[in-house]
Amino acid sequence: MRRVRTGGLAAAAVASLLAVSACGGGSTAEASGDTEVRLWLNGTDTPQELRDYLVETFEADHEGMTLVIEEQDWSGLVPRLQTALASEDQTPDLVEIGNTQSPTFTYAGAFSDLSDMYDELGGDDLLPGFVEAGTVDDTLYAVPYYSGARAVFYRKDLFEQAGVAVPQTLAEFRTAAIALQQANPAQDFSGFWFPGQDWYNGIAWLFTGGGELAVQEGDRWVGALSSPESQAALTEVQDLFTNATRAPRDADSNEPWVAFNNGQAAMFSAPTWARWSIALPECDKGVDPDDTSPEAEALLAEQQACNEERTGVFPLPGAQPGTPATVFAGGSNIAVPTMSQHQEEARDLLRIIYSEEFQTMLAENGLIPGNSQYAGALGDDPYAQAALAAAVDAKLTPAAERWADVEGARILEDFFQQIASGTDVAQAAAEADRLLEETLN
Amino acid sequence: MAAPPLPPETAAPPRDPAPPGPAPAPPRRVPRRAPWRARLNPYLLLVPALVPIAVGLGYPLVRQFLLSFQEYGLAQQFGRPAEWVGLRNYTELLSDPYVWGVIGRSVAFCLVNAGLTMAVGVGLAVLMSKVGRAARITLQVGMLLAWGTPVLATLTVWQWLFDSQYGVVNWVLAGPLGLAEFRGHSWIIEPASFYLVATVIVVWMSVPFVVFTTYAALLQVPAECVEAAQLDGAGAWQRFRHLSVPLIKPVLLIAALLQVIWDLRVFTQIHVLQKAGAPTRETHLLGTYVYSLSREFSMAGAMATVMLVLTLCLTGFYIRRMLREEEL
Repeated sequence: MRRVRTGGLAAAAVASLLAVSACGGGSTAEASGDTEVRLWLNGTDTPQELRDYLVETFEADHEGMTLVIEEQDWSGLVPRLQTALASEDQTPDLVEIGNTQSPTFTYAGAFSDLSDMYDELGGDDLLPGFVEAGTVDDTLYAVPYYSGARAVFYRKDLFEQAGVAVPQTLAEFRTAAIALQQANPAQDFSGFWFPGQDWYNGIAWLFTGGGELAVQEGDRWVGALSSPESQAALTEVQDLFTNATRAPRDADSNEPWVAFNNGQAAMFSAPTWARWSIALPECDKGVDPDDTSPEAEALLAEQQACNEERTGVFPLPGAQPGTPATVFAGGSNIAVPTMSQHQEEARDLLRIIYSEEFQTMLAENGLIPGNSQYAGALGDDPYAQAALAAAVDAKLTPAAERWADVEGARILEDFFQQIASGTDVAQAAAEADRLLEETLN
Repeated sequence: MAAPPLPPETAAPPRDPAPPGPAPAPPRRVPRRAPWRARLNPYLLLVPALVPIAVGLGYPLVRQFLLSFQEYGLAQQFGRPAEWVGLRNYTELLSDPYVWGVIGRSVAFCLVNAGLTMAVGVGLAVLMSKVGRAARITLQVGMLLAWGTPVLATLTVWQWLFDSQYGVVNWVLAGPLGLAEFRGHSWIIEPASFYLVATVIVVWMSVPFVVFTTYAALLQVPAECVEAAQLDGAGAWQRFRHLSVPLIKPVLLIAALLQVIWDLRVFTQIHVLQKAGAPTRETHLLGTYVYSLSREFSMAGAMATVMLVLTLCLTGFYIRRMLREEEL
């Protein structure tokens, strides 16, 4: 009995060892074949057409090489990069990284110096806030890939019913949102879709009111949520949470169009590419998503036109009429990991990305390209106008070495959720400031 | 240890092959070698099992332990030398009242969940041994499905059930049951109800294991003994309490031990629920807290070591007892 059991164990162990070594063998064989250059892109923001363009162009220029684009999930990206970038075997050769996450890795020495390519890639036309986020001690490590500015989408019919006009100032925006909610008595209706953890939108009030998340004093970062400017702005935010939204307090900024599409919100704020996600029930033509026939495409175009006819868009207004609010500039940077064994190829790929063609394609897809010279290709429809207007004054999170840790610990999600839950603003801010300082220093 | 005496012995024969000495030598050597090899054989057979364990478990454990005495973060990972800091990571962690809060919550969560799992599991196992074939198979299939569904798929379903806006739990409570305050109620925003939801999910997922092991053990209780007890006038409860339980105790002990270990380091369920919108800081348990420290590997290593010690403290009693019973 005993002998049999031991034998089985040993056999199993040997089998698993063999399996492990077989895996190892497989990957080395692959690596010694043709050279594979790996590019990591995050989420679905980069459309397929652009990915195809990169692969085709790169492979045409580099015989015997393949470009593999691997899509990473935005969520949990920092810990994944933390392990992948430190290993020669696992690191991608070119990597997209959230603009607010860049400093963490540039300070750690994870990226190669790109200073000598600055002028070649676009020089002063590169989005300045993003370049700053990718620079340490005058050395450039990460360059701007794209920026997705936020704008407010609204239902024209609900505005009309409630007798509300497109707001011209941030104060008017708040009154409009409250009026819209009061005009629609349904129990789950929101004047402005503003879920509790949505700090990406919430900090627009902070920035516009002259507040900050954290400021640098000498060598130390100090939380700035308790400053008088921040407090005034956060009180307005709390008013919005209380009177202008019925969005769940435990939701975040993901997919804000769901409630809008269900007729449960009159307004929501999102990057302008959200226009493709709007699908009002009254416009639905019931097209099968897999159907690619010309009739289906015609119907889809009709559906999109119907949606856009009923939906309006405007940049979040600022403190004074005619000025846009200072919104959060979401977007990403791109960098070459130090550990990459294909530095030259990665640089070539960067050149393709910063070519006029690719930058124009980014813009045509509603993303503000890293090189602002090509932003003209965004077009002159209201979406492009709103995006551009919002991008003019957009602002980033503090360029602190450990900012990614703040996002990793979800400090701001917790903070805005507390405000949404009715916690005293000063008290919540004091606690959040303490946590910010603890994390950033 | 065995190596040094060998060379002189093996080197001796070639030096003087002429003398008749070698004749008695082989018989002397053969008996000596045989037991040595025979003794080695079982250990050789263990090697394939030990090597993966040493590589897969031992190395990370040693590394974690060493890291916990260093300052090792992102910068060190990219080549900056790591500095030895002695016990600094430990003192920093253990002097933070928040960390003690996490430890307290984790232990409470672990004990409540392990206890509930054992109670429900043993109850269902007894039920399974009493009901008819059809009911038993239904139970078994249901259990197997609950046990076999991938964790993340299960969690997605639970998350939908408890969704504050479109979840069926709120819909049932607010609609047919008329509890209007549950319309749009958020189940995970308060730590207490967050842990309630987490407990439901964790218990639901671990009960099948306890049911199957206990049921298997109950089948081993000899029918003659039960019958004899019945003839002696023992009631159903007495037969279970004084006959079955002592007989299946080793199995119960080991199941409980595993539950305690699993529930103390619970990660996936908590992490996913946090991502679903719970306040992160107030809902951390040990597993997710260690993960949240991972930006600083040395800190995470120290916390993981604390967690290991805690696990050993909680289970040491069980393990000692189990080992003692095995000797008997």
